[in-house]
Amino acid sequence: MLAGLKRRWRRQLLRLSSGLTVKMTMLYGAMFVAVMGVSLFATRNAIEHYAQGVIRQEMTVGSALFDRMTMLQFRQLEQAGTVLASDFGFRAAVGTGDAPTVASALDSLKQRFGIDNALFIGVDGSVAGDIGELTTTESSQLFDALDEGRNHGIARWGSHNHMVAASPVRAPMLLGWVVFAKNMGTADLQQLARLSTIDLHPRLMPLSELPVALQTAQNDRVMTREWDRGTERMLAQARPVENLIRSAPQMLVLEYSLTHAMAAYSPILTALLAFGVIGTLLAIWGAYVMSRNLARPIVALEIAARKVSSGEHAEVRVETRDEIGQLARSFNRMVNAVEERERQIAHMAFHDGLTGLANRALLREQIALSLQRNDAFVLFCLDLDNFKSVNDTLGHPTGDALLCEVALRLAETCPTGFVARLGGDEFAIIVTDGVGAADQTGRAIVNALSRPFQVNGHRIVAGTSVGIALAPQDGEDATSLLKNADLALYRAKHDGKGSHRFFESAMDAEAQARRAMEVDLHDALRNGELTLHFQPLFGLSQNRVTAFEALLRWNHPTRGMVSPIDFIPLAEETGLIIPIGEWVIHEACRVAVTWPDDIRIAVNVSPVQFRSATLNAIVMQGLARSGLAPQRLELEITESLFIDNVEATLASLHSLRSLGVRVALDDFGTGYSSLSYLRSFPFDKLKIDRSFIVDLLAHDGATAIIRAITTLADALGIETTAEGVENSDQLDILRAEGCGQIQGYLFSKPIPAGDVAGLLQRLDGERKAA
Amino acid sequence: MRKLRIASLSFAAFAIGTAPAHAGDLDLRVVDAAGRPVSDAVVTVRPAGGIPAGPIRFPWGTTMVQENIAFQPHVLIVPVGATVRFPNHDKVRHHIYSFSRPAKFEIKLFGKDETRSYTFKTAGAVALGCNIHDQMSGFIKVVDTPFAAKTGANGQVRIPGLAAGTAQVTVWHPMMKSKDNEQLVLVPVPGSGPVVRTATVTLRAGS
Repeated sequence: MLAGLKRRWRRQLLRLSSGLTVKMTMLYGAMFVAVMGVSLFATRNAIEHYAQGVIRQEMTVGSALFDRMTMLQFRQLEQAGTVLASDFGFRAAVGTGDAPTVASALDSLKQRFGIDNALFIGVDGSVAGDIGELTTTESSQLFDALDEGRNHGIARWGSHNHMVAASPVRAPMLLGWVVFAKNMGTADLQQLARLSTIDLHPRLMPLSELPVALQTAQNDRVMTREWDRGTERMLAQARPVENLIRSAPQMLVLEYSLTHAMAAYSPILTALLAFGVIGTLLAIWGAYVMSRNLARPIVALEIAARKVSSGEHAEVRVETRDEIGQLARSFNRMVNAVEERERQIAHMAFHDGLTGLANRALLREQIALSLQRNDAFVLFCLDLDNFKSVNDTLGHPTGDALLCEVALRLAETCPTGFVARLGGDEFAIIVTDGVGAADQTGRAIVNALSRPFQVNGHRIVAGTSVGIALAPQDGEDATSLLKNADLALYRAKHDGKGSHRFFESAMDAEAQARRAMEVDLHDALRNGELTLHFQPLFGLSQNRVTAFEALLRWNHPTRGMVSPIDFIPLAEETGLIIPIGEWVIHEACRVAVTWPDDIRIAVNVSPVQFRSATLNAIVMQGLARSGLAPQRLELEITESLFIDNVEATLASLHSLRSLGVRVALDDFGTGYSSLSYLRSFPFDKLKIDRSFIVDLLAHDGATAIIRAITTLADALGIETTAEGVENSDQLDILRAEGCGQIQGYLFSKPIPAGDVAGLLQRLDGERKAA
Repeated sequence: MRKLRIASLSFAAFAIGTAPAHAGDLDLRVVDAAGRPVSDAVVTVRPAGGIPAGPIRFPWGTTMVQENIAFQPHVLIVPVGATVRFPNHDKVRHHIYSFSRPAKFEIKLFGKDETRSYTFKTAGAVALGCNIHDQMSGFIKVVDTPFAAKTGANGQVRIPGLAAGTAQVTVWHPMMKSKDNEQLVLVPVPGSGPVVRTATVTLRAGS
């Protein structure tokens, strides 16, 4: 119990010593103490001043009373004296020196008036009557005083003070004085003390015997002094009285204890002090409570702010409606706003803005989490087979809407799966349950997306390919799992779209080989490993070589000659085909310009290269730099260009044609069934695919096809070239069916540039010989 | 001796009136402590050779009148044995008394135009009062020397005809603050030429 209190007290102290509260409490406390101190001090001073004033007033009144009292006595004595002094008999007795009569008269009067001393002093200094204790000195002092004309006053005879009054005796000349005196016992002064409201302890004292504090007093002025008598503070006053004997003046001394006077007021001061102490305690308590009330919400705000900065959620209680309450309210609003924004930012960081699905980062995290839990799960990676054409033909808004629909359909298909959009038209799904049913799920996904979508009024068949990786056996981490699923996807696409494939480790090796080749191909162009070989095209009607087709060769430093079938698709996939194609056009032009003017050069243009915006510029540059006549350059394109976007392809063809170059259609008859584009663009040449030529000798119908093509071409005014002619039988048929040119091993395999001149020479010689 | 006395009297009379001084003349000026001239001071001289024998007479007579509730003159010098008359010129009555040692007497209640007299047999100062009127006072100086006179308003007095040698000069004044209200001064009188002196006296204040 006690320990608890102590602890509480210490805690309270700690809180007290915290800044604001302590400062305010101390300030208010100190101010109140100061005010109370000053007012107490002022009050005490005022009271003391007042008390002193009262005492001084009493002293003035007392001394006035004393003067009045003594004056009355003097008058009485004088009157008595005058009665005697004017008596003729007494005067006669005095005048005749009848001492016994004088003495008896004095004595008689003394009795009658109750006077203590009655005597006669002659003008010659003689003394008669009741001399009493009067010493010679005293009587001569008395005579001197009378002789100087004073007739009343106080005189000290022996140890007693006397009120003395004298009446002159004349006959008619001054004979002397009747002197009456009354002993001023303590009773007279006590009477005085009784008359004043406070006991001033009146005393008559010789000037020389005054208390130390009053010793500098003079017999003609009032002097007031304060002095300490023991522990008491005294106020003492010395005032002159009506002195008869000037040489031995008496002073009226009044004194009163200031301490005693102040004691009367001490209850007031004590009460004031008590009020002050209570007031101070109240003020300190009030200031403490007020400042704590003020500081508490601030402390709460501070604690909350610290929590928020360390990432916790914190709100403060709004207790008041004042500024601090408003601050707390604003603080809470701010905290909520910041947290809401954090949530949004976090969501944006981990989600796809378009579909609301998880993004790649969240997917990776999810994969890592599942791997960490040692869960078995399946990772599906997929993309849409025809998304690019949707975007190109229907616009991006439709493309985006399609992606949203796809997202919905994926979520429907895999209700327990974790669906993410990786970017573009790529999606990924994690399915943790039903690992055994991965194959079915893959098929289900393919099927789900092969159903047509209705988007913005368009009916779209998206189609998809799916790559599947199984965790944990197909990868230790998110990166490898994603890569492997992607490899499977690649395979699925490669093997024909609209299917699903599981990852196999061979895929990885193949991919690595492809990657190595890709790197090498990148270097090949720079290292001069690429060369062009040329295969002649023989004009049957002209009976000479009319053109050479430029064919790319890669002489790899370690692998030797690499087949174009192996590296051209790679170059197309990686985009390397663009720089390589540029080099090919430049090199072909450079070589061809050395040939006779009637020999053309044919260059294959890859679809990727054809679609790039730079083709026209590259062609122009190649012509300009080599000085080759445009009509000597023949660009060979494939039918597949017409599958995707006929309009764009036609525009590009016309643009090329405007340069003056010839355009040939390569591999005619294999890619595309429609012949309508032949009407749309006036090709210069059709190159009949080698498969038809091979068939010439095996199938009878093949000749018919050749005939149909040549007839069609003739009708449209297009030249024809047969590819892959390997024997003379084929040549004969082709010649019979009206084919314009032949190309193939029968005539010549592709030869290096340096062999072209020799070939031409040999052929020329043969022809001349024939 | 008689001749001498007459001479001296005539001198005295002369001294009051005119200025020329002769050998043996004493010109005395009486002033108080503040230097103011003192009137009605009686100066008596006992010359070196003593007082010549024979009766003494003064030219101012021996009458003291009561008039306007006052003695007139205020101070009267009379020789020893002189009888002084006290005529009452007032309408009221007077009761003259003296408690002075040289002559203690009482003249009770005499009315207007009544005259009483008293003979002063002893030298000395006699203070006269009236028992009815306390404010009345008069003085009779009874002297046994012819060399006596009282000062005038200017405090001046001349005593002529003094023998050479040291003279005992006594100055008396009713208010003088000294024993018997008098003061003795020894004055050397030269054989030729006057003596001029100033006597300073202390007077009692008031009455």
